[in-house]
Order: sequence, then C-alpha cells, then structure tokens
Amino acid sequence: MRMLILLLKKLFAFVKRDFLLEISYRISFLLQVFGIFINVSVFFFLSKLLGSAQMPQLAEYGGNYFAFVLIGIAFNYYLSVALNSLSSSIREGQTMGTLEALLVTQTEIPTIIISSSVYSFLFTTVRVIIFIIIGVFVYGLDLSRANYVGAVVILCISIVAFSSFGILSASFVMVLKRGDPVASFFSGISWLLGGVYYPVSILPSWLKPFSYLLPITYSLEGMRLALIKGASFYNLLPSIFSLLLFTAILMPVSIYSFQYAIRLAKRDGSLTHY
Amino acid sequence: MKAVIETFNLTKHYPKIKGYKDLALHPFRKQYTVALKNVNLRIEEGCFFGLLGPNGAGKTTLIKILSTLVLPTEGKAFVNGYDVVQQHRHVRQSIGLVVNDERSFYWRLTARQNLDFFATLNNLSSPEKEGRIDEVLHITELYKDANRRFSDFSTGMKQRLAIARGLLSDPAIIFLDEPTRSLDPLSARHLRKFIKEEIVCKHNRTALLATHNLYEAEDFCTHIAIINNGAIKACGPIDDIKAQIKSGRSYILRLSPDSRFTELGLLTSADSILPVPEDTRTFYVESANIALVISDIINRGGSVEECTLKTISLDDVFTRVIEDTQER
Repeated sequence: MRMLILLLKKLFAFVKRDFLLEISYRISFLLQVFGIFINVSVFFFLSKLLGSAQMPQLAEYGGNYFAFVLIGIAFNYYLSVALNSLSSSIREGQTMGTLEALLVTQTEIPTIIISSSVYSFLFTTVRVIIFIIIGVFVYGLDLSRANYVGAVVILCISIVAFSSFGILSASFVMVLKRGDPVASFFSGISWLLGGVYYPVSILPSWLKPFSYLLPITYSLEGMRLALIKGASFYNLLPSIFSLLLFTAILMPVSIYSFQYAIRLAKRDGSLTHY
Repeated sequence: MKAVIETFNLTKHYPKIKGYKDLALHPFRKQYTVALKNVNLRIEEGCFFGLLGPNGAGKTTLIKILSTLVLPTEGKAFVNGYDVVQQHRHVRQSIGLVVNDERSFYWRLTARQNLDFFATLNNLSSPEKEGRIDEVLHITELYKDANRRFSDFSTGMKQRLAIARGLLSDPAIIFLDEPTRSLDPLSARHLRKFIKEEIVCKHNRTALLATHNLYEAEDFCTHIAIINNGAIKACGPIDDIKAQIKSGRSYILRLSPDSRFTELGLLTSADSILPVPEDTRTFYVESANIALVISDIINRGGSVEECTLKTISLDDVFTRVIEDTQER
C-alpha cells in the first residue's frame, strides 16, 4: 500500500512538473486549441463536400464521414502520444541534461519514463474532449446514442497496447539516441492501414489483411462502434479481445527490450549521451 | 573504521564508436577504450576523499560506476556495503550526486519547485519534504531565493542548488564531480569555503570529490587518490603521500655572495638542480644525500649560505606522480 501511495505521489510530481513547464510557455496552449479548431473545421467542410456522395463503406458507421474522421483523428492522437511520449521523454532528458539527475534518485527507470508520459496522455484527453465538443456543438456531430463506458474501456486497453510500441521505441532511443525505426514505421503504417481517414474496407483485398495486424484498426473500429452506433459491450468484444491479445504479446517483449536497452546503455556508458 | 566505499580490481572498458569505414571493413571487430584498470580503493566513513587526476583520467567514470549510472566491465564495487550492480536500489538510497552540469535542473521552474520534484523522487514523505527542503536551502544559503526561477540564478547559485539537491535525502555518502569547474575564481573560492564549512566541518559527511584542482583537494580532503590513465597511482592520507614522495629530498640551497663556485649544474652528486628564476645564487636541489652535495660545492671552492628543506605541496606530489607514470 505504501509503495502504491509513493508511486501515485511520483506520478503526480511528474504531472505537476510538466504542467508548470507547460504554463510557463503562456501562448502555446492557446495556439494548440486554435489548431484543433482549424483541424475540425477542415474535416467538416471536407465531409460536406463528400456528403452528397453515397459511400457504402461508411454505412456500418452511420454513413457520416465527418463523425467517422473526427473520431479517427481524435483517437489517433492517443496513438501518437503512446508511440512518441516515452521516447521523447528520454530524448528530452538526454538533451536537456536532466536524465542523469533523475536516474540517481530512488525512483526506478521504468517509473521515471512512464510517469514522464502521463501528462501527455492527460493533455491529449483534454485535446480530444475539446475536439469532440467542437464537433458536437459547432458542427452538429451526433453522439446521442454513444456507449461512453464501452468507449472508455476500449480507450484504456488501446493506450496500453499502443504503449507497447512506445516502450519498444523508447528502447531504440535509449541505445541509438536518434533514428528510432519503430515510431516512424508504426506511425506511418497505422495512418495508411489503420482506418484513420477511411474505412479499412476500402483497401484492396491483398492489403486488407495487413491492417488486421495493427492494434489501431481494432481500436478505431471499437471506438466508432461505441460512440457513433452506441454498440453494446457484447458487440465490442471482438475489438476488446483483439486489443488484449496484442497487449499480452507485445507488452512482455517491449518490457524485456527496454530492460535490455538500459543494460546496454549502462554498459556502454551512454545512458545520458545524446 | 568502517569502509563505505570499496572497489576491487574495478575495470571499465568503453566500446569505441566506429567510423563508417571500420563498420564496412570490420563490422564485427570490437575496439575498446580503457577507462579504469584494476582500481582498488577503500574509503572510510567520515572521510573527505579527493580523487585527483588530469582530464580523461577516469574520475568521472569511477563516480558514475559508484552512482550506478555505468556498469563495470570487471571487478566489484561496494557503496555503503551494497554491490553497485546487484543492489543498485540500496546504493542510490545511500548516495547524493552533485554534478557540475547546470542543465540538470528545470530552468523554467523555481529552485523550490525543482527541489520539491527531486525530493518526491527520493521518496521523501510530504511532511518531511517541506522541512528538508527548507533545511538544505538554509545550508546552501539559497532560502531567500527559493522562489526565483532557476534560469535567473548565477552559476555559483546553480552549483549550490546542485549541492542542495545532493543533500536532500540526507545521504550517507556524497559524490562531488568537479563542483567548481565552471565557476570564476571568486565564486569558486566562496563555494569551496561553503563546502568546507558546511559539508566537511559541520556535517562531517563521507564525501568523494573528483577534481583536478589541487588547491581544492588540499584545502578539504584528508585522503586522496591520484588517478591517471584509469589506474590509481597513489592513495592514502595526503601527508603520507607527501612523505613518500619526499623520500624526496627537495631543498632550497642558497650560495654565499662570495662563493667562487656557482656552476651547480656541473655537480653529479645531486639528482636534479634547477636555478630559481631571476636569482643567480639560489637553486632547487633534489638529492638523497644533501650533505654530499654541500661538501662537493665546498670542495669546488664554493660556499653555502643557507640550505632549507623545501615544503612539498600537493602540486609537487601530483606532478611527480603523473610524470613518473608517463616516463614508465
């Protein structure tokens, strides 16, 4: 119990640190909100253009491209944070020079790295909420049937599954410093095949099976069904199980890789190099 | 006395970074740089220990191994009785590391916010944290500036905050890696005075100071080790090392004004004779038998006005040890 309280205090300390640093750059937050507004507007007008065309691939998501793409983009933010925040917290510590001071504290490296990304997830949640609020209240996105509990469950499992790739990416940054192949490859391939901007069913039949190898496909599928169609837990089970399977396979591999990377960096004396 | 730091044949090899040509021609050949060679060290509780050596001697590598930031290639190291590889958590509970890199703080946070963050990471509970932060801010004379941003601090204040951070968890052992390196002479003198009074005299901590500043080491270290090319060349209490070197026979010899023999360079009875600049009658003489040198001078028609034993400084010790190593 004492360990858990200590851990939560440390998580809070990292969130507080990042929040204080964030608000010290006063104009940055406002610019980010403005960026979200522009983003939503672009896709609203794009969907108006496409609105008159019949798109059978969107039928299972209610036929509305705006709702489809808004959820795709919003939850792709999480993928992006999960993929990049762990490695960027290491990179930032290396280049800023704070990593060495953190590593000699009585906090373990995994706790330091994971806690460093908590603020990014919280901030992304705020961004996604703003994104959806603009969609609902300004552009009339209909979420009246949404299964919010189901969406939160899908989101939580997705974050853990995506973070496996993030931990793997962090392992590369720990050793290679720059030129991490995981984040750039996985991020690009997820945009292409994961169904962020268009349904997976639009892909050619030879390419479609590859999309099922990506957790984001199941994540966005489940999220859209929960929020747009209000799908029940029973209907969300295929997505939930697929994401759990990804987590069960990827997480141990990632953790092992990360521990190996730390050992390698300590052996080479490059833990704090950049 | 209990040893709080002990190393046994501690060795560290760093892999060399290969160029593109080497990678293409010899992709599997491994090349290493030797940073530490069979280092055996014993530092007792309450000792202020100086680790002296030129740049690249291996001082920082040794401190990084003892701080669990780098793994040794061979040998063993124990800090406060804990193995630095197997029991790194316990080691980190026992140490405070003061690095000279002012980038190791968050520049846009205040001194207090920085210390609060690092105190939480050092498992200090909320009630003791506030008290401890105030205490280290008082010790480092930064209490009044605690709510100023770190970026507004002078280099000396930044270094004192680094010491405050090192003291936060009230560690048994404190490592100071060249704490005055980036300071101007006045700030360095102030910080040295502060370290001596607060860390050495008042709090009597075990401290390991890595430095190439001999004045600094002589000022507050009781024991030293001289390290060069990764190997310990001399180790022990400063006075013992000076005595060893002095077997040492350094003298200042002054000829009488009427001495008919002044060409002391011709003497073969001394190991070395150097004239004192801008003084034709005074010489630095090194010899195991000064009586023989003096009688040699007298036999050649000279006369000696004064001969005094030269006090050996740490500078002399350091230079002699390093030169001996290079000659070998």
